[in-house]
Amino acid sequence: MFSYAWLILALPLLGFIGLSWFGNKISKKQAGYAGCATVGLSFLVTLVVLSELLALEPEKRLGHVETLYQWVSSGSFKLDLAILIDPLSVFMFLIVTGVGFLIHVYSIEYMKGDPEYSRFFAYMNLFIFSMLLLVAAADFFFLIVGWALVGLASYLLIGFWKEKTSAVLAARKAFVMNVIGDVGMVIAALMIFQNFGSLSYMDVFSAAPDQFRSNDDTMVMITLLLLVGAFAKSAQIPLHTWLPDAMEGPTPVSALIHAATMVTAGVYLIARCHVLYELAPITMYLIAGVGALTAVFAGTMGMVQYDIKRVIAYSTMSQLGYMFLAVGIGVFSFGMFHLMTHAFFKALLFLSAGSVIHGLNGEQDIRKMGGLRFAMPLTHITFLVGAICLAGVPLTSGFFSKEAIIMSSFHAEMGNIVFWAMGVLTAGMTGFYIFRVYFYTFMGKSRNPEAHPHESPKIMAGPLLILAFFALVMGFSAHWVDQFLGPVFGVAAHHYEDSMLEAIVVLAGLGGILIAGIVYMTSKDKLEFAKQALAPVYDVLFNKYYIDEIYDFLIVKPVRAIGAFFEQKVEKEGIDYVVDQVGSQVRGISQGISFLQSGKIRTYALNMVVGMVAILLFVVFL
Amino acid sequence: MGNQFVLIISASIFCIGTVGFLIRRNPLIMLMSVELMLNSVNFLLIGYSSILQTLDGQIFALIILTVAAAEVVVGLAIILTIFRTRHDLNVDHINVLKG
Repeated sequence: MFSYAWLILALPLLGFIGLSWFGNKISKKQAGYAGCATVGLSFLVTLVVLSELLALEPEKRLGHVETLYQWVSSGSFKLDLAILIDPLSVFMFLIVTGVGFLIHVYSIEYMKGDPEYSRFFAYMNLFIFSMLLLVAAADFFFLIVGWALVGLASYLLIGFWKEKTSAVLAARKAFVMNVIGDVGMVIAALMIFQNFGSLSYMDVFSAAPDQFRSNDDTMVMITLLLLVGAFAKSAQIPLHTWLPDAMEGPTPVSALIHAATMVTAGVYLIARCHVLYELAPITMYLIAGVGALTAVFAGTMGMVQYDIKRVIAYSTMSQLGYMFLAVGIGVFSFGMFHLMTHAFFKALLFLSAGSVIHGLNGEQDIRKMGGLRFAMPLTHITFLVGAICLAGVPLTSGFFSKEAIIMSSFHAEMGNIVFWAMGVLTAGMTGFYIFRVYFYTFMGKSRNPEAHPHESPKIMAGPLLILAFFALVMGFSAHWVDQFLGPVFGVAAHHYEDSMLEAIVVLAGLGGILIAGIVYMTSKDKLEFAKQALAPVYDVLFNKYYIDEIYDFLIVKPVRAIGAFFEQKVEKEGIDYVVDQVGSQVRGISQGISFLQSGKIRTYALNMVVGMVAILLFVVFL
Repeated sequence: MGNQFVLIISASIFCIGTVGFLIRRNPLIMLMSVELMLNSVNFLLIGYSSILQTLDGQIFALIILTVAAAEVVVGLAIILTIFRTRHDLNVDHINVLKG
């Protein structure tokens, strides 16, 4: 009944192919509109699918597998080209195509000055297609295909400005980190096939509870390997280092890929495979622990960065930590809800930051900004909306989703006070770092007299306003999201009422904002004083805990050394030597016997006659 | 008697051809020597065809003659080309393919 749902995937793919082939032949304007149109239409189809899905009974909404055709059939192994339509995948479709469309529209103006306009939109369409494939996959095979394609699109877009060395290096780093995850996923898929004889979600999830006991070794192994992929894609410790560097890409890319959609794939994966994860509580604890740790850890790093995009990137990591915490303690629908609200307000923050960068002609250092509230009133408002949502000011979307997670981290079966404390601490830091950026950028006086900021044009303002609206009001859809996603996860998550804990969370967020205000809005002396008093801590945070350096020392350098050893000893002195020897020996022997080729016909004839006579004598006399 | 006569004549002609091929330096003569060797075999075939009263040998001889004629055409063409380019027909001087 959802056979037309294929259009959702086909349209962006068509856009990618069309823009790649004919991108140079059409004008910039046409390329931009074409890129937006495919995603916009895809969004409309998603809305139709959603309406049809809502018309069904909640129990009948699950497991609609639309098979296009059977692709592989080898013995017991079958692989269908199929997509899965259920509340979870449609929910993700809505976010990907909806937020994606707004960001595409925004890019029309943002990328205007770029000579390779159509290439940008082609890549963006490729990304949307890959992400939709990842979400729509009905089996682990296409999940991995989408997973890898998303990594590719991310690589292409981070390195979009290919003449910038730092961008190319960042793209490479992101790709390598993501491939580590892909390897984990592939091994997990092989183990799943070995144990269940199928890669289809339906078969695996229905067979798993009967086949395995809780915490079975195999199940723990599979979930952990899947987790490697989730951690790499969602930038969780220890595979997080690529995300801040990924900010080298154009700002719409950061908003779309590294905030709203791609990085949430890990959360989606765990939510999708919740049946497996529920069979491995050990892994669930690990997810919750790593999520909480990443939330705190990224928050601390975000507090000291000066690049406006980097601060938001760390905040993304931190918020992803919340989502992992949520799925780790088993409240999947809260994780998905935070994923959605985060997609709105984080895309909003990134696009507002992009508007600031655009208005200041590429300036990203917040120390050189200031006083922009007069020059860019609209961007000021939208950034402020994004900031209060992120900080969890009551009645904004971030408040509802974050509060639900933090509350569950204490009250849920798998929650405990440590998770809760880390959640609250992060909430406080979130308020601090985002308002630090806000005060630096929009308040006070301009720190750079050279700058002549200007407000962004209307086509950029539109998406900002729409996102701001949704960021403010989507919090009220919490109940609806729970109801909608409930059937997928078996039960709707329980909302815990605890006014004291709630008050603490809110106060933590507001306290962070207040401290940021005190430190950055009053005199400079306090800032310098605080910096000096906390110098050692500050250095560690500013250098991102030296993780890049540690990885460099522990992994990159040894690998390089091993590589150099193999190049010299094995490649040059081993394999090359053998090959060279074969060649030179053959040549030597040939030269030794080449006198036989005298070129004189009569010599050859004589040899022939002598030979024939010898054979004759042999035949006759022996 | 007839039997031995055929064998001796044939072997003699073959040896003359072989020696001629080996000792002469003019390719034209060498080609003629090759013809001599071929015809010694033809002689043997026809002789035995008559002794054994079968036609097989004669048919074979006819085929050999045909092949020999074709071969001579090619050979003469090569010799002609060599002479045109080098103005020299001594086979000992034709050793471009020396290893």
